Amino acid sequence: MVRSVWGSFFVFLLCVFSSLRAEPKTTPPEGLRENTPQVFALTNARLVLSPGRTIEKGTVVIREGIIEVVGANAAVPADATVLDMSGKTIYPGLIDSYTDWGLPKPPKRSAGGPGPGRQGQPQPQEEPRGPRYWNPNVLSHQKADKLFSPDGEAAEKLREQGITAVLSVPAKGIFKGTSSLINLGEGKPNDLIVKPAVAQHISLQTNSMGDDYPNSLMGAIALVRQTLLDADWYQKAQAAWSRNPRLERPEVNEALEALNQPVGAYVIEAGDELDFLRAAKIGLEFTLPLIIRGSGSEHLRLDAVRATGLPVILPVNFPDPPSVENPDEAVEVTLRELRLWDEAREAPKRLAEAKIPFAFTSATLKDPANFLKNVRKAVERGLSKEEALAALTATPARLFGVEDKLGSLSAGKIANLVVTDGDLFAEKTKIKETWVDGRRYEIKPDPLVDVRGKWELKLSADPKPGDSVLLDLKGEAEGPEGNFKIKKEAKLSKVTLSGKRLTFSFTGDSVGFKGVVRMGGNVSADEILGTGELADGVTFTWKGRRIAPFTPEPDTSQKTKPEMASFPPVYPYAEFGRTKLPEQPENLLVKGATIWTSGPQGTVAAGDLLVRRGKIVRVGKNLSAPAGAVVINAAGKHLTPGLIDCHSHTAITGNVNESGQTITAEVRIGDVLDPDDISIYRQLAGGLTVLHALHGSANAIGGQNQVIKLRWGAGPEEMKFEGAIPSIKFALGENPKQSNWGDRYTTRYPQTRMGVEQIIRDAFKAGLDYQKDWADWAKNKNRLPPRRDLELEAISEILRHKRLVHSHSYRQDEILMLMRVASDFGFTIGAFQHVLEGYKVADVMAEMGIGASAFSDWWAYKFEVYDAIPYNGTLMHNAGVVVSFNSDSDELARRLNLEAAKAVKYGGVPPDEALKFVTLNPAKQLRIDNRVGSLEPGKDADFVLWSGDPLSTYSSCEETWIDGRKYFDREEDKKMVDEITRERAVLIQKILAEKKSGKEGSGEQGGWKRPGDEEVHNCMDGEEHP
Amino acid sequence: MKKIFGFGVGMILGFILAVSVWGFDQRPAPPQSRPVALVGGTVHTVTGGELAGAAILFDKGKITAIGRGVSLPAGTEVIDVAGKHIYPGLFDAFTNLGLTEIEEVRATKDVTETGRINPNVRAEVAINPESELIPVARANGVTTAITSPEGGIISGTAAVINLDGWTWEEMTFQAPAALLVNWPQMTPQRGWWVTESEEEQKKNRERNLKELHQAFKDARAYWTAKKAAALNGKNLPTDMRWEAMIPVFEGKLPVLVMAGNLQQIQAAVAWAEEEKIKIIIGGGYDAWRAAELLKAKNIPVLVGGTLRTPFRRYEDYDLPYALPGKLYEAGVKFAIYGGGWASNERNLPYHAAMAAAYGLPKEAALKTVTLFPAEIFGVADRIGSLEVGKDATLIVTTGDPLEITSNVELEFIQGKKVDLTSRHTQLYEKYKAKYEQKAPTNGLMRAGEGEETK
Repeated sequence: MVRSVWGSFFVFLLCVFSSLRAEPKTTPPEGLRENTPQVFALTNARLVLSPGRTIEKGTVVIREGIIEVVGANAAVPADATVLDMSGKTIYPGLIDSYTDWGLPKPPKRSAGGPGPGRQGQPQPQEEPRGPRYWNPNVLSHQKADKLFSPDGEAAEKLREQGITAVLSVPAKGIFKGTSSLINLGEGKPNDLIVKPAVAQHISLQTNSMGDDYPNSLMGAIALVRQTLLDADWYQKAQAAWSRNPRLERPEVNEALEALNQPVGAYVIEAGDELDFLRAAKIGLEFTLPLIIRGSGSEHLRLDAVRATGLPVILPVNFPDPPSVENPDEAVEVTLRELRLWDEAREAPKRLAEAKIPFAFTSATLKDPANFLKNVRKAVERGLSKEEALAALTATPARLFGVEDKLGSLSAGKIANLVVTDGDLFAEKTKIKETWVDGRRYEIKPDPLVDVRGKWELKLSADPKPGDSVLLDLKGEAEGPEGNFKIKKEAKLSKVTLSGKRLTFSFTGDSVGFKGVVRMGGNVSADEILGTGELADGVTFTWKGRRIAPFTPEPDTSQKTKPEMASFPPVYPYAEFGRTKLPEQPENLLVKGATIWTSGPQGTVAAGDLLVRRGKIVRVGKNLSAPAGAVVINAAGKHLTPGLIDCHSHTAITGNVNESGQTITAEVRIGDVLDPDDISIYRQLAGGLTVLHALHGSANAIGGQNQVIKLRWGAGPEEMKFEGAIPSIKFALGENPKQSNWGDRYTTRYPQTRMGVEQIIRDAFKAGLDYQKDWADWAKNKNRLPPRRDLELEAISEILRHKRLVHSHSYRQDEILMLMRVASDFGFTIGAFQHVLEGYKVADVMAEMGIGASAFSDWWAYKFEVYDAIPYNGTLMHNAGVVVSFNSDSDELARRLNLEAAKAVKYGGVPPDEALKFVTLNPAKQLRIDNRVGSLEPGKDADFVLWSGDPLSTYSSCEETWIDGRKYFDREEDKKMVDEITRERAVLIQKILAEKKSGKEGSGEQGGWKRPGDEEVHNCMDGEEHP
Repeated sequence: MKKIFGFGVGMILGFILAVSVWGFDQRPAPPQSRPVALVGGTVHTVTGGELAGAAILFDKGKITAIGRGVSLPAGTEVIDVAGKHIYPGLFDAFTNLGLTEIEEVRATKDVTETGRINPNVRAEVAINPESELIPVARANGVTTAITSPEGGIISGTAAVINLDGWTWEEMTFQAPAALLVNWPQMTPQRGWWVTESEEEQKKNRERNLKELHQAFKDARAYWTAKKAAALNGKNLPTDMRWEAMIPVFEGKLPVLVMAGNLQQIQAAVAWAEEEKIKIIIGGGYDAWRAAELLKAKNIPVLVGGTLRTPFRRYEDYDLPYALPGKLYEAGVKFAIYGGGWASNERNLPYHAAMAAAYGLPKEAALKTVTLFPAEIFGVADRIGSLEVGKDATLIVTTGDPLEITSNVELEFIQGKKVDLTSRHTQLYEKYKAKYEQKAPTNGLMRAGEGEETK
């Protein structure tokens, strides 16, 4: 009775399935129809149904590619082929969450010359066809399913890793198009694709050597932003036009059209943890259903990554250990590299602990054969097996919206399975076979016979009759090894087992033969019959009888607990990082210093500075300390406001120039801050507390700048100077007209200073038109909606005094020109940057209240600075211009106090006033002087303690405070150096130990590295645009 | 004109101003025509301590007396420098001054000859006495410099020059002063800017090293053959390159080996031993790691400026500042040069000052830009300190020349009083005049501005 109930249930199921799985094939058969039954019962296997759900012994029934039933007591259907899986474990098929399987490979990046963006040869572009987006990097209309053609060899490699389905992502573009989820089987695309459009993919990678827009990270981000806005506009414009065909006909655009097709997710590729946060910001801005294709460095900013709440597609590419055996090479290895190596394998565990959902991918591995090996390393380093399995099955199935079809061993799902000979995550477990769409792909099948064991032989040519002849076979069943023994042993060489045929040879001298003996025979259960040949050509017959089965040697290798990461996380990562932000004392009193206030109080001898919760309360003499206040005795020392650098390229990831266009007002330095730039720390050590991170000067209207406080250890967003008025970089003269870029650069507009003026005017005219367009739209909706244009929005902000212009400039003609343009359009120039001929038109600058942010004494590095003089600052100052001295250099920024001293030297600016060139004056130019720049009650407690007169070359910076927190302390620095030395030594020894034990590396060459790790932004103008 | 000196420095400044207003360029000074005594200032001799309120007397370009009771010969021009300080002229131990004008304008550069083995090219013959960069450096007390070609493996010979003269011949103080060799990069460089793979770099390194060794081998073979030919009375066809290297083998010319990291320094030292040649290490970023070796072999170092950032992320921010102090403590002989930017060699003293702020004794810091380079290049018998018998190459300042806020008010090179104006002072005066022409309107002129224009 029971059976009949089940039987009818099965019938019901079958009906359901056959109707669901009608799998209509449109392709007519070639020749005879193939109708081999595809019904299998895999019995007696250990079943891991899903993470944490296991059946110790059970059956999986597969019918026509679908799992029909799974269970401990599942009945075997009568029509099934039974496969006994005793000793095997069956897992759901693994999913590789990011591949390019079956898709055209990415074009190889041609190596440009030295000097990014200059000598790089132009890449031949394929002629675009169809209604494309204007920028060839926007390929959102690409569809993986359309591009897909199965690659059998690659599939086999992936299946060997237990992978049965992959997400295939088109390789090219910033918008790459949609990915497909594809089963890793053999057959036509039509049959393999499980889900044609899974996600739209975005990469932030650009060719920084190239000339085309975008050639910077910030440019790529800007392009993503603009494209998404354009997609939105496109839909609205098309809708408006279809409602009213009498309207101006909007353009047809396949890329924007594609972005309006519903898609389950957006995947942004992040090259490191900072890119992760950047991508998350874009996702938030456009409310994208976002998944991040991560890098494996997410744990470096784990809290911030967790706070985004985003799932991650996680590569298992662990960096190779840096070369440290050779002491010469070890010197060049940073602690950062050492720690990355030490911690990378632990990263998945940390993500799991932080409850960040992730799915594994083989992406970025040079050889996918290391995929499973590396997943196992992550497990060894503390990732639970359940979490690991989830990252390979259930999580990707859920992320890609196929959890009803893939991701677990359960009835009704696609029959994608992995069969192993043990725990999937144990080091020696082999993938025996994978099943894709109910089709079996054997990888390491068990041999037909197991020849291992002890055999007694009888040879027709016995050299020592009477002595027993033994054959001992052991090792792997698929490839045994062993000995031939007549009293003494001869080691077998070239043992092969092919089907049931065993062959081997050995050097027989030790056992009574002369030379090499070769033997072969056919194995049946416990008997071998064969022939052999002696060295002299005499043949013989032989017979073997198994006298003892094979018993594996007990595993004596001590399972040692893996060593975990040696050091706690610090921010920023590795060198000079701290475990937490410096404390902010409730009350702080600095006593007895010579205080250069840069404010109305002038310089106060033997003065005190009282700070409360990060703000200055008072500067005066003999102030008393509130109870519990931290008191610093600064007698004999000098105290100044924190120094401010009005022109810096520190703390920027990637190119500081988006040089792909003459106007790039839409790109934002604020998108690409690099809080890990070691220069931040080094500049703190020179008393710098605020810097203006500028776009480069490659174009007439460059990108948007960012003012930051040097809060070393904070994240990119926390570094930003709250409420600082936004600014934008302009550039005049040789750089935007490409004078020193090389002989190829003679056609982009402008090539003269005349053209520079015109293109700026043109941009402002366009900005005005843009404003009018939107004003008109507000009144009149019976038209196409206006398109949001981020470039013109930035220009419009300038026109509305919401954004200050900071213009790179040298010659007096161009300085005067921009002032006249500013007057004509009524916009505000915060300061001219460099402005080395400012002294020639200082009267006009003073009249217009425009600041000058100059080098103190640089000159003659290019023709337009041949008239630069060190008296420039003084002349402008005396004419009433607010003057600052800047660095434009990671190096110079560490000693701006000494740059100020040059204003004293050249022309005799009084010391107090000279110091303002690097404190109050740059604050004024950035319009942040209400907060910083002088030591006055109510302002931020940003200050520097010097060993002596800050304008003396013999003085040094001892402490640097920001917001009442001590970010630099010379004594603490020395301790940190000792700690760095210690950590380096520990990790180097750890690598050496691991290399000795033969466990090093991922097997990958090089591993990954943060781009720009040792990047130096020394943008002394000529070098600054790439 | 004669009288001007009697009236002190204020008048001299007036003179300078007047020169600019007349609108001609800096004129090289005439040879010293009569004894000059600077009296009343503090003489910083460098080798013999400080003498306050002393006089320094020099004639025919040489110092003839230093002290408090110096008797002045008849006809001595006496210059009152009370309250001022007298130092030896500053010596920049490595620069391209005179060989380059504007970095980005190729036509103005004569620094790097084509090819990789150029021992025969000589810096001095291409020095442009008219370079605007020279008066700028001179105005801040730099009287002497080693100017050198660069690039390739063997760049050519450097010369010691005085920063004043009508022709390069007049300016040349000693030539050749050193043969410049750029030691190949020994460890692979890594970073976004590196376009060569580590393999390629390794290949290049092997190639460069081979080329360098071969050049010295060939030159030595040439020298040997030449000596043999001389004995046999035969003619050896000239090879310009190897001819130029003979002084190196004869021990007359040191090789300045530019070598930054430890491996380069160690390799260069071992090579010098083998070749039995005198070397000086230039750049020397890692020299402190090789201090014992350098001291033991008595090899001096030219520290390539202190105002540079650490190369390695893990190194302390002040390592380049502290490098000279470390070398000093270890007993290594060294000098500091200005980092190589010809246009701003005037900042040479501040490289030395930064070393003093981070561990080098002040007196030693002064020596790194005066006496030490003179010693290293074998000209300390003539310059580098204020001693009787040495050249009267000296500066009169308002204070410590290593302080930015000090200014140079008078300068003598071999007794010749040199012009302290420059393109910069001229443009300064010119544009000060612009604002003086314009009546101060709407209060833009600041208090104090008027005094200067009196």
